[in-house]
Amino acid sequence: MSHAKTPHVVDARYMEPPGPFVATMEMLDTLKAGEKMLLLLFREPHPLYKVLRQNGHDYETELLPDGTFEILISR
Amino acid sequence: MLAFENAPPFAAPLRFFLTAPLFAVLAGLLVAFEGPDIFASRWTPGALAATHLITIGFMLQVMLGALIQILPVVAGVNLKRPLAVARGVNVGLSAGALLLAAGFLSGIPVLLGSAALILALTVLLFLAATVLALIVVPTTSPTIRGIKFALFSLAGVVGLGIVLALGLAYGWALPLMALADLHAGWGLGGWAGVLLAAMAYVVVPMFQLTPGYPARSSWWFPVFMLLMLLLWSVALLADWPLLARFGQLGAALAGIAFAGLTLRLQGKRRRARPDATYRYWQLGLTNSIFALFLLSTVAVWPVAADIDGWTLAFGVLLVAGGFLPFITGMLYKIVPFLSWMHLQNSGQAKVPAPAMNKILSEAEMHRQMLAYAAALALLLAAIFFPAWLARPAGLAFAVANGWLWWNLAWAIRRYREYLAEIEAALAAKLATS
Repeated sequence: MSHAKTPHVVDARYMEPPGPFVATMEMLDTLKAGEKMLLLLFREPHPLYKVLRQNGHDYETELLPDGTFEILISR
Repeated sequence: MLAFENAPPFAAPLRFFLTAPLFAVLAGLLVAFEGPDIFASRWTPGALAATHLITIGFMLQVMLGALIQILPVVAGVNLKRPLAVARGVNVGLSAGALLLAAGFLSGIPVLLGSAALILALTVLLFLAATVLALIVVPTTSPTIRGIKFALFSLAGVVGLGIVLALGLAYGWALPLMALADLHAGWGLGGWAGVLLAAMAYVVVPMFQLTPGYPARSSWWFPVFMLLMLLLWSVALLADWPLLARFGQLGAALAGIAFAGLTLRLQGKRRRARPDATYRYWQLGLTNSIFALFLLSTVAVWPVAADIDGWTLAFGVLLVAGGFLPFITGMLYKIVPFLSWMHLQNSGQAKVPAPAMNKILSEAEMHRQMLAYAAALALLLAAIFFPAWLARPAGLAFAVANGWLWWNLAWAIRRYREYLAEIEAALAAKLATS
C-alpha cells in the first residue's frame, strides 16, 4: 500500500493489538535515513508515541474526517 | 518490547473489577429481600438504595478503575502513585456506597451525611490525581476531550448528590425531585454517557474491528451533551420548565444518535464471529435506544411520566439494560487482555504467554451473559407484575452478577497460575543459558 505522503505505509486500522505496534516497529527497522513511514489507525497510539520519542523519532498526527489517525513517522 | 509496557500495576484496576460485581449482587439481594414494594416508585428507600449500589458500587467502581488503567493508553498520561490512588478510591467508593444505601433504607441522617462526606472526599482524591495528570495534556483526540468533559460532569453529579443527600438527611427546603432528575442527568449523560463514548471511540474499533467513529460527531458529542446539561441546570435555577425539557430532549437524542451510530459501525465489523463483548454491546445499545426513546417522549409529553412503570422502565432499561452490559462487555475484554499483557511482559520475550481464551473462555462468558439477559428480562417484567416477579428478578440479578464475579475471579486465578509457570520456565532458561 502506498500513500501521497510516503510509499511506506502500515494500515493497522483493522489489526488487533499488539499488531499495529509490532508492524510499525518492523517497518521502522527497514527504513533508510531520511525516509518516513505512515501508520493508519482508528486511535491515537500514545504508548507507541512514547517509544518513538525514546528512540529519537519525530512524528506528526492528523485526524481525518472518517476517524482515521494518520501518523507520519520519521526514521 | 510491548506497546503497553508503561501500564500501571495490574492490582490497581483489578481491585475495582473484583469489587464491583459484589455490589450488583447486593443490589439484587436487596430487591429480592424488599420484594414487590421496591417497584412501587423510583423514590422508595429500597429503589434508591439499589440504584446507588449499582451506580456507585458497580458502575463508578469499574469506570474509575478502568480509567486508572487506560489513561496511559488513550491519553499518554500516568497517574502518580496509581496503587495508592486505586486503594483509596476503591475503599472510599465501597464504604460510601454501603453507607448511602444504609442511609436510604434507614433514613438515619448521620448515615446519609457520612456517605456524602466519604464519597465527596473519594471523588476529590480521584479528580485531583487525574486532573493534575491531564491538565498538561493537549486535547488531540475526541477521546481526550470526552474524558476531560466527563470528569467535569463527575464533579457535577457528585456535587448535586451531596446536596441531595444532605438535603434529605437534614430536611432542607429543596426541590428534591427536580434536583434528583438533574443529578441523574449529569451522572448518566454527562459522566457515564460521555465517558462511555470517549472509550468507545477507542475500544469499539480496536476490539471489535469496526470502522472508526467519524471525527466531527466524535468531537461534538461531549460538547453537545454538556451544553444540554448546562441548559437543563440553568433552566432549573431560573424555573423555566420548558427549557429544562429541551435540555433533556437534546441529551436523549444525542444518546440515541451515539447508540445508533455504534450499532451501524458494529454492523460493518470485520470480526466474523460475534463474541460476548459484541453481544453485550448489542444488548446495551438496543436497550439504551429504547430507554432514551422513553425519556424523549417524557420531554415532549410530560404526562407520560405518570403512566405506570414508565420511569422505572426507563431506569432499568438504561442502567441495568444499557450501562451494565457495556461495562461487563468491556470487562470481558479488559481482564483477559490485561492478564495476557502482563504475562507477555513477565515472559520477557523468552517464554510465550498463553492465548487470551485460556484465561477466560468464550463459553464461560456466553453462559453468564445468557443468565444476565434472563435476569434483565425478569427485572423488566417485575415492573409490571411485581407481586409475582420482584423476588425472582432480584435473585436472578444477584446470581448473574455473582457469576460475573466468579468468571473474573477464575480468570485472575488462572493468570496467577500461568504467571508462576512462566516465572519458573524463565528461571530454568536463565539457569541453563
